Amino acid sequence: MMPSLQTKLPGLLLVAVLLLDGCNNNRVSPTNVSDTRDVYRPIYSSYDAVRSIQTLAPRPIRQAGKIYIKDGFLFVNEIGSGIHIVDNRNPEKPVKLSFISIPASRELAIKDSILYADNAVDLVALNVADPTNVRLVKRIENAYPVTAYPPMRNVRFECPDSDKGLVVGWKKSDDKNVNCWR
Amino acid sequence: MKTTFITFIFLLSAAYGCSDIGVSKSDSVASAGAGTGGSMARFTVAGNTLYLVSNTTLRAYDVSNSKNPTPGKETKLGFGVETIFPYRGNLFIGTQTGLIIYDATREGDPRYLSTYNHVMSCDPVVVQGNLAYVTLRNGTACRNGLNLLDIIDVSNLTAPRVVKSIPMINPHGLGVDGNVLFICEGDSGLKMFDLSNPTDPKLLQHITDVRSYDVIPSRDVLIVTGKDGIYQYSYADRKSLKLLSKLTIEPIV
Repeated sequence: MMPSLQTKLPGLLLVAVLLLDGCNNNRVSPTNVSDTRDVYRPIYSSYDAVRSIQTLAPRPIRQAGKIYIKDGFLFVNEIGSGIHIVDNRNPEKPVKLSFISIPASRELAIKDSILYADNAVDLVALNVADPTNVRLVKRIENAYPVTAYPPMRNVRFECPDSDKGLVVGWKKSDDKNVNCWR
Repeated sequence: MKTTFITFIFLLSAAYGCSDIGVSKSDSVASAGAGTGGSMARFTVAGNTLYLVSNTTLRAYDVSNSKNPTPGKETKLGFGVETIFPYRGNLFIGTQTGLIIYDATREGDPRYLSTYNHVMSCDPVVVQGNLAYVTLRNGTACRNGLNLLDIIDVSNLTAPRVVKSIPMINPHGLGVDGNVLFICEGDSGLKMFDLSNPTDPKLLQHITDVRSYDVIPSRDVLIVTGKDGIYQYSYADRKSLKLLSKLTIEPIV
């Protein structure tokens, strides 16, 4: 026998409140199949995987983010994944030297030969004196609060679950059965 | 209570938006040992301090030993903070509702000076001399905005005032270098202005076949990022940009 609405209601309210809390800055609404807004799901990663920074061979630039110049070198953020280092001493012939894999990074600045970047919730200091052998010199853990929503506006998304790991990105989903939006 | 909460949620959600794309600034602002970023940068080095802005907070890290950044003061800024631009000991912070100016002459201990408010828009800022150049963009993330270049007199840092507003198409990042000003117009191209009169920019060239979002002008070379590539132009001849190279962007199909 189905429970009556009166008996279900407090439970639903509790769930709604919990979901709201879990989504931090974003509203939670019941699933509405007629909602045509794009839907995103979190891409999770373990803290260990996120905190792995590697110098890799040059690779194609897919989605250029912030740029930065220093001493004839050009640094191009690959949105959410790292930094391309380009020898730009001859602007007529820029040469990609390496790709520094920095999961979930979007920002950068440099002093001397030290590059500062965000690495998900951490701030990292990297020695880029040798672009083919970039070294981590300091990591400040949890310098940023966890972001619990996608960067896009006017979208719906699956509410992140911190037990599944750290959210390092968002991917579009066809599954409309999600409860968070912004 | 409920209304307050919903308003709060709305403000909070409205505060996140057009922060994906970078822009530019001139060499003159670089600190010793620091490089140069774009006008929509959220990280910057001024003197011996690394400043980071998040959506609501300005964080200072002592980098007098660059290899050992050390967390320092945190300053609450409000909502919708997007960019930070250091200039002559001051920090110019672009937010979705205005320009906030901090005195940063005491290393790592920024002191509030003033706020210049405008309508809700996206707004990177660059500064040269006594003038701040701010682009306001009406984008999907920044509703209710206008598409403008605002020129703001900041000779009195505690009382900034707008001296001119110029209509733009879809302005994103911008960069200034001496007598030349560059404005990224998104999918609508890239503009170069003569800035011989700093309060009266005159359009020199509008390249329409480049999708531009971010620029860094430095030593007569303009670096432009856009959806299709990273273009470099010489602006040694102020009358027309000369393409030097292009790094192709290869999106995953």
